[in-house]
Amino acid sequence: MKALKNLVKAREVPVFVALVLVVTVAGIANPSFISAIGARDILLGVAIVAILAVGQTFVIVMRHIDLSVGSLIGFTSFLIGDLYSQGYGLWAGLAAALSVGVLVGAINGFLVAYLRLPSLVVTLGALYVVRGIFNDYAFGRTITAAMVPPEVAWIGLNRIAGIPVLFLIGLVLVIVSGVIMRRVRAARDLYAIGSNPAAAELAGIPVARRIFSAFVINGAITGLAGAVMLGRFNAANANSGLSLELIVIAACVVGGVTIAGGSGSVWGAFLGAILLQAITRTIGALGIPQFWQQAFNGGLIILAIAFDKYLSGRTKATTIMGSKDE
Amino acid sequence: MARSSSSAGNSVLEMTHVAKAFGGVHALVDAGLILYPGEVHALLGENGAGKSTLLKTLAGVHRADAGVITLRGQDFLQGSTRDSIDQGIAVIYQEPSLFPDLSLAENVFVGRQIVSNGLVNWAAMEKASQGLFERLGVSLDPHAKARGISIADQQIVEIAKALSTDAKIIVMDEPTAALSSQEVDRLFTVVRNLRDQGSAVVFVSHRLDEVFALCDRMTVMRDGSTVGTSLISETSDSEVVRMMVGREVSELFPKLEPHIGDVVLQVKGMSLEGQFSDISFDVHAGEIFALAGLVGSGRSEVIRAIFGIDRYDEGVVTINGTKLPPGKPAVSMDNGIALVPEDRRQQGLFMASSIARNVAVTMLKKLSSWLLLRRKNEESTAAQWATTLQLKFAAIGDPVERLSGGNQQKVVLSKWLATEPKVLIVDEPTRGIDVGTKAEVHKLLSQKAQQGMAVIMVSSELPEVMGMADRIFVMREGEHRGTLTRAEASPEKIITLATGGVIAA
Repeated sequence: MKALKNLVKAREVPVFVALVLVVTVAGIANPSFISAIGARDILLGVAIVAILAVGQTFVIVMRHIDLSVGSLIGFTSFLIGDLYSQGYGLWAGLAAALSVGVLVGAINGFLVAYLRLPSLVVTLGALYVVRGIFNDYAFGRTITAAMVPPEVAWIGLNRIAGIPVLFLIGLVLVIVSGVIMRRVRAARDLYAIGSNPAAAELAGIPVARRIFSAFVINGAITGLAGAVMLGRFNAANANSGLSLELIVIAACVVGGVTIAGGSGSVWGAFLGAILLQAITRTIGALGIPQFWQQAFNGGLIILAIAFDKYLSGRTKATTIMGSKDE
Repeated sequence: MARSSSSAGNSVLEMTHVAKAFGGVHALVDAGLILYPGEVHALLGENGAGKSTLLKTLAGVHRADAGVITLRGQDFLQGSTRDSIDQGIAVIYQEPSLFPDLSLAENVFVGRQIVSNGLVNWAAMEKASQGLFERLGVSLDPHAKARGISIADQQIVEIAKALSTDAKIIVMDEPTAALSSQEVDRLFTVVRNLRDQGSAVVFVSHRLDEVFALCDRMTVMRDGSTVGTSLISETSDSEVVRMMVGREVSELFPKLEPHIGDVVLQVKGMSLEGQFSDISFDVHAGEIFALAGLVGSGRSEVIRAIFGIDRYDEGVVTINGTKLPPGKPAVSMDNGIALVPEDRRQQGLFMASSIARNVAVTMLKKLSSWLLLRRKNEESTAAQWATTLQLKFAAIGDPVERLSGGNQQKVVLSKWLATEPKVLIVDEPTRGIDVGTKAEVHKLLSQKAQQGMAVIMVSSELPEVMGMADRIFVMREGEHRGTLTRAEASPEKIITLATGGVIAA
């Protein structure tokens, strides 16, 4: 009974129910939607957002945000293709992608954790700085299929046991991160920091170090995810990853990773990403004009946040980050 | 009670000649504190005396500029909250420091979660916290989130946290400020158990009766220095108060002879589902009318409803014969009602704004010309009030958050007194403020009443109610239990009514 109650209370459950509901409705309206190809389409389309949502969860549970991920993933996907086409090989490209990701994460993390600047502004700045450098680097060039390392192209095209490799990468990441977030002390500190930053200091948690590390981890995941994005599209240009960060944050919020910090799981964020993608597809399957899709997803974000508010019973006035209960 | 361990000479902590300055402000000049295992030690002093700074040095939040701190004869490692915890010091702050989104079990073990094979062991952590809660005699669910639990339960969780770290020194900063009397009793039992098991408990409180009931020894601080330490059994109220303020306080509650006038405010049959029912009373001009009762008895809810912050289901509120519409604070203000809320930090003040702005905010219209607020008007009005209330501040343009608790309360009071209300409602007017300021606040309320203002006062402190009120309206669980006149009232009668007993005729 208690287990059942906890299950219903767990924020992942309603997301999952919504997902089943969406798929069922779409399936009834358009039976081909349920087909293996329809499902594969969703899984393939969701992989990038799901991976970034997992990384973003590390940051959002601390009551912070990282807006720089769209620019960063675009840059590293371009970089991997570009380095390969210049003869540096796959591993050099991956190493460069990881380094750029860690560097951007470290700069964001340093400014937020040690100089105590607001992450919203710092990472908004990083979004433009990285995109600017990226544009200068790309200088109108594009990465075409011939410039993509074959291993990277392989992950974008192939399946294992019928499931796209891209999705499996996301799945492995969410399983590993899920265990880390639930069962590693340092990761539990992130929740404490997001739930009550002042108390976290008093409890002896190394707050600045943890904030810094979480931004670096998110940067590293995003940097490497450049390879996944390159594999998915088999191409890249200066606009790759543009405004992707907003979809990522939407996925987190829909999945119950509350912007006010302290709660939510990588599983929730992952499911949130799948739900948004499924809705996009459903709207297509139902023959509703595509432009309604964005409006619908927007409504869903607001619904999700209202739902969280209702669940948590917070009543204090809200700020840009939601309720504070100090 | 002088304990044998105290005389054995084996102190657990010695802080001597501790000094600490912030910028140019000397928070600690020559502070000292010596603790023995198995004692409850009261740390007393007016707000701003340096108690908090001294305790925060112990907690690792601050590092002392000078002085010697030894723990069991060893040098005490300063300047990191983590190191303090590891050295066996647990601090339970006045402001709750739990994590609302985490389970109670994780709150107990936060930052030190139990791990096996490198992974957090939830089952072990929940079992251990369950055990601690049972040991403390409370039934709390380790799975439950900390959001929304009562302040009393939050303290129990903090104490469980202290026990889990095996803390030998447990500091409690005004733990009883927001507790009902049953909750205070429960806390005292827990504290006495801790003491009997050999912990040294530092107890900060402004309620001297509690100090005398609970503590073994006491240290008094004034202006950043330790004034003296003595056994509780060898001292008295007036002695303690004199040490704290450095002067004799002849009258703690200088109540002036009232001139009771006509009925100003009338409440008839007011009810709000689940909060209070059938509340009726009249308040006269010149009268101090106290609402007494335990925390949670509905007192604050009643005054919120009168002022119009909350609506009510039934009943009528009239002021000088005019009926007030429910749920309209602006109309109440226009009709001469002012409310000084209980939680001054969150509801009464704009903490980051200047003293002047805070005082002036209730009379913007009066101070404006051509639709623009004149800062000069604002500051001169505030300065008048600052003089009247003997406010201690550096500059009238300083943010209110820099003031001590007592001075903040004075700012809230002046803000509302400046509107020249006919009815002043004050909720816990002296909570958490020091003895000297308390007397000033009481004097002020008494003077205002004598000048014809009707004052409605909610207070949990019996001496305050007894000393100030002309009539006492006692509530229990949302219902009126009885009204006592000043002549009839005694602490026993108030407690009896508030706890559901009946006074023998």
